[in-house]
Amino acid sequence: MNKNWSLSQEAFDALLDWLDSDRELAGIKYEQIRSRLVKIFTGRGCIDPEELADETINRVTSKLTEIQQEFTGDRARYFFGVANKVHLEYLRRKTPQPQSAPTDSVRAELEYHCLERCIARLSEEDRVLLLKDYGAKGQTQAERRKALADELGISLNALRIRVYRIRTALKECIEKCIQDSL
Amino acid sequence: MRSYLLGTLDRDLKTQFEERILTEPSVYQELLIDEEDLIDQYVRGELSAFEQEQFESHFLITAERQKNLRFGKLLQEYVNFHIEESPVPVHSFSFLHKPVRRWASLGLVAAIFSAAGIIIVRGFVNRREAACVVQQTPSRVMTVTLAPGSAGTQGSTAQRVNLPPYGVDVTLELELRNSTFRNYKSELFRENKSLKISDALRIEAKGEQRVVPFTVTGEILSPGDYQVKLSGVLDSGADEFIDNYSFRVIE
Repeated sequence: MNKNWSLSQEAFDALLDWLDSDRELAGIKYEQIRSRLVKIFTGRGCIDPEELADETINRVTSKLTEIQQEFTGDRARYFFGVANKVHLEYLRRKTPQPQSAPTDSVRAELEYHCLERCIARLSEEDRVLLLKDYGAKGQTQAERRKALADELGISLNALRIRVYRIRTALKECIEKCIQDSL
Repeated sequence: MRSYLLGTLDRDLKTQFEERILTEPSVYQELLIDEEDLIDQYVRGELSAFEQEQFESHFLITAERQKNLRFGKLLQEYVNFHIEESPVPVHSFSFLHKPVRRWASLGLVAAIFSAAGIIIVRGFVNRREAACVVQQTPSRVMTVTLAPGSAGTQGSTAQRVNLPPYGVDVTLELELRNSTFRNYKSELFRENKSLKISDALRIEAKGEQRVVPFTVTGEILSPGDYQVKLSGVLDSGADEFIDNYSFRVIE
């Protein structure tokens, strides 16, 4: 890929068209592919997975005219092939990375304050579920979850998804609270 | 999936799995949930020593996951505090709103507390001759205060603790000399084998002494010599060794 190549709006629109003729669905597919590429690069131990995911997408976009003529099948798979090449190049140029900056105590206090605020905003049912999911001492996560799923009369998987959603909402709330406070 | 997250999955399987992450929404969703679960298990010290090492060297490589770990620790800290301060109200669960089951549940709770009371009283009587400072609290937890010192990990100088009765947890109060960490991490060893790790521990005042309480389930203890390693947790998530503690469990 030409190193000076950058993703223009026109090129991005062409990528979306290739992913799906429905623009809304194309946008969703784009986000899905990007977030999954980030996970794959993370799983490979890359320090900056987001940058590598963007590089992968840029490369696919820059070759789109050729790809459209030659490639058939699940488009997500094409990204996987390009991601492998991007990863190989990353390994060749990889340099030691500095440790992440420590969290200062002021920020740590702010995070805790925001956590308290955000937990208070949860519904009573969600708050209790979260506390129960984390709370029981002397039990492993698996034991706790099984007991809790039995208690609620739902499957273990349904419970995991429910807890995951509560956590995700909580994290988003905390992020927003921190941004608003800084 | 756990092997994938910890970076121990075979290379071919890893490639196959990565393709599935990209093409199967359910696999990706499961991966996200497993990541969270793994973080919680790490925070609660439920990973084996090997898994813990992989978690720290491989899993925590990105800033995003480090941030998620911070969130996990924060949440655990909150839960620890609130569970101790005010137990989770059981009436909040819908199943307890059904009259018949509610009474049955209340009966069960009463029976559990009665049984625990008997165990605690028996345990208290049995421990009167204990050689160290052992305090039985009314909540199925036995408290043992340990002074720091790496010497005397074996033999007669190790502090003695009576074997806890079934169902009773042990809180090891680790005395501190000087330390100013926000969070602490403790690891319990027996014959160099790691039995339990707890993260996100907080310092507490006990009279003029400062201690880090480290609770372990009584079931993991049997007669023999134990060591506890206490570290301070830096904001970056790395550990800094503080001191060793030792005790001997006796029948």
